[in-house]
Amino acid sequence: MERDERLKLLKERAEAVQTSVSDVTGLQQAFLYAVEVTRSQGGSTIAAPALGPEERSQLAELCRQAEITLIVENVRDHIGKIQTGLTLGDWGVAETATLVLDSTSEDVRIATMLSETHVAILPRSRIKSDLMELEAELSESMKSAPRYLSFISGASRTADIERVLTIGVHGPQELHLLILDDELTGEEP
Amino acid sequence: LKRALGNQFLGATLDTFASSYKVSRAKAFEGIHLDSLIAEIAAGKDASIPHLEELFSAFKDRAEAAGIRVHVARTALEANTIIADIARANQVKKIVKGKSMTAEETFLNHHLEEEGFVVTETDLGEWIIQLRHEGPSHMVMPAIHLSRKEVAELFTKVTGRQQDPDDINGMIKVARKELRQAFLEADMGITGANFAIADTGTIGIVTNEGNGRLVTTLPRVHVALIGFDKLVPDLKSALRILKALPRSATGQLISTYVTWINGPTECTSAPGGRKEMHIVFLDNGRLALARDPLFSQALRCIRCGACANVCPIYKLVGGHNYGHVYIGAIGLILTYFYHGRENARAIVKACLNCQACKAVCPTGIDLPYLIKGVSRTILEAEGKPPVKNRLLKHVLGNRKLFHFLLRGAYLAQKPVAGGGYLRHLPFFFSSAHGFRSLPAVARTPLRDMWERINPRLDKPRYRVALFGGCLVDFVYPEQAQALIQLLGKHNVQLEYPMEQTCCGLPAMMMGENETAREVAVQNLKSMDPASYDFVLTLCASCGSHLKENYPKLCGEDEGIGLKVMQLRDKLIDFSSFMMNVLQVKPEMFEGSGKKVAYHAPCHLCRSLGVTREPRELIQTAGLTYLPAKDEDVCCGFGGSFSVDFPEISAELLKRKLDHAEATGADLLVTDCPGCVLQLRGGMDQRSGRKVEVRHIVETVGGEKP
Repeated sequence: MERDERLKLLKERAEAVQTSVSDVTGLQQAFLYAVEVTRSQGGSTIAAPALGPEERSQLAELCRQAEITLIVENVRDHIGKIQTGLTLGDWGVAETATLVLDSTSEDVRIATMLSETHVAILPRSRIKSDLMELEAELSESMKSAPRYLSFISGASRTADIERVLTIGVHGPQELHLLILDDELTGEEP
Repeated sequence: LKRALGNQFLGATLDTFASSYKVSRAKAFEGIHLDSLIAEIAAGKDASIPHLEELFSAFKDRAEAAGIRVHVARTALEANTIIADIARANQVKKIVKGKSMTAEETFLNHHLEEEGFVVTETDLGEWIIQLRHEGPSHMVMPAIHLSRKEVAELFTKVTGRQQDPDDINGMIKVARKELRQAFLEADMGITGANFAIADTGTIGIVTNEGNGRLVTTLPRVHVALIGFDKLVPDLKSALRILKALPRSATGQLISTYVTWINGPTECTSAPGGRKEMHIVFLDNGRLALARDPLFSQALRCIRCGACANVCPIYKLVGGHNYGHVYIGAIGLILTYFYHGRENARAIVKACLNCQACKAVCPTGIDLPYLIKGVSRTILEAEGKPPVKNRLLKHVLGNRKLFHFLLRGAYLAQKPVAGGGYLRHLPFFFSSAHGFRSLPAVARTPLRDMWERINPRLDKPRYRVALFGGCLVDFVYPEQAQALIQLLGKHNVQLEYPMEQTCCGLPAMMMGENETAREVAVQNLKSMDPASYDFVLTLCASCGSHLKENYPKLCGEDEGIGLKVMQLRDKLIDFSSFMMNVLQVKPEMFEGSGKKVAYHAPCHLCRSLGVTREPRELIQTAGLTYLPAKDEDVCCGFGGSFSVDFPEISAELLKRKLDHAEATGADLLVTDCPGCVLQLRGGMDQRSGRKVEVRHIVETVGGEKP
């Protein structure tokens, strides 16, 4: 499958499970998006535990301007106060609109499980057609323990009361995927 | 059972669910070659099942190297004891649980609560039924039997605040809040797992709510209880199953969360900052089952619940009546192996053999056949077959006696027969059987008039043996007469091998395989497939039995085995013969334009896989085909099923006739005399406008070309 086709399929399938997908050209735009979402939902906290030092200070500056508290470690201490969990996705899968996220760090897990909204940045070059295409990579990463890998395809949902689909019973109520343009040319990498 | 049939909410919910499930499942599998996927999953499972212990030992090495403690529990009690011991050793007080059928199997909650631990189910449906002190009524949707009103009443009691039944979102928020507290206070989390991957020591958990992630993250101890059957060699096998599991369970392409865990991860609430992780592998009969040549197939099950979703009986009575812990078709089987004969005896009889479960199973388990197998095993173990089994064995095993009795039945019924029906049921049927009229046995059976009514043709195009079956031979010979007339016009010579007898399906349905085998051999001796171009039957049930079950009964026998295979290759149903062999065209029919609804017999549309031909034939013959709702759902006949379970049979029949009537058709047409018996008998008992029920051969043949 061509790159554009994969992206198109991912967007189509994401829509079917109420995942919102947007394109971003750089991290700055992605961070602004996360800040904006947090503010628009009346929240005041972002947990972003897995950023490098440079990105961290970039985000911290934006949060400071918007009067948002940024949590980068000991996320467990902030349970109940996290509006947005912000992560960097490892892989994307078009067929099922799945985000593959290495969640070995407890901070990442809590940020993505106990926030109201999960915003994940996904480099475009990391999108595969289907899960089978990732079999070798995933199998390899499972060989180094401990490891906690998550496939996330939409927001927490249940249909346990009269089969009515209801969102957000335990985990985040929204999932936002930000597709990061990381390919300089239009060619297949 | 009667109470369940009277529960209108349950009936309506399960009916709506069954209809919407069909649509969403089909949509989810779009673009996937389902037959190949099923075959691949089945082959993968079948390759693993004989090696579960080796897979376990590979898994254990990997998992222990990663720091997981691995345990083996031979029985349910042992599993519960091991888990309680782990809890005690870690000074655990409060436990949160993810949804696990395996834990339901061992009644783990009950055990832990007796030991003084506080256990909270965190899957919403499981939490609801835990609060109500009930078991699940569905493997995927445990609380599907409850209405929003019942949940609101329950939540009002739990929270002490009035809950609005129409605000489902609000009730979900109640659960979110209550359960969030339980997560934060818990010392230990218990989950099941959908996969245990041997070559990496990884467990995989499939959930939608995300509670599984919290259960494995927040508490300092994690215990996973996993059946040996969940072992797969590698990630590839797991991903292949994952492709089918959510699609088949809920019609989702994938469930919201799939979690893969290798080893104890970071946990800041644990001493040393590292979680304590245990895996308990449950045997409870699985390893013995794995060695059984027939029943090991049941271990392919991936717990998607599809076999319940499509089961016409489940749809009527719900999971609390249709299973013990495990529910649906697979539940009837697993109950015997995991929970014993006492719990299995009654429910295992409640199978129509309609094949709907087999057709939908993503791992290709021959569920109806295994259900009959369990039934047989129970009969053998108890060594006291019911009177009707002994009678059947004696009578069916001897064609002359059997046919003598059937002829005698014509005379015996005389005082109660009228207009082709028995007007008063013999005393041994209770009033519950009055939902349909039973047909009278024909005055002259087909075999006695055959030579007279079947003309010899000069140079026939095809020589075709007719396999009559009991109903066509002794009750509805007019169906064969219509066939002779019709095929004569196409220069097809029919033959009726006189030594043929009952196909033997009723014997197999009662678990009497030895009798079924004897009858099969008798039929094969009477009718050498090599002497004919085709073997045609008007009875879908006989046809599917000849084609599918004869190979199982005597396909391996020397000599006869070859004939079984020849018979399988030459067997054909009426519609396929007309459309595919004779290739009839509209101009060959006058075409009355009558409005026709169609009922697809279970054994034709699923067992024999014939779906296109009957509908095409109806239209080719110049009739107007009006599609009805649930055309391929069983009419409730199921042979002796309708005698053993009249209430269920009556309800299925009622729905079927309602759907047919709703089309506005003049005729209801089907291609199995068993279905004709059921449908015509039911129509006779209805008041108001009556839709005439006919075998398709009488409809197509009735129009003079």
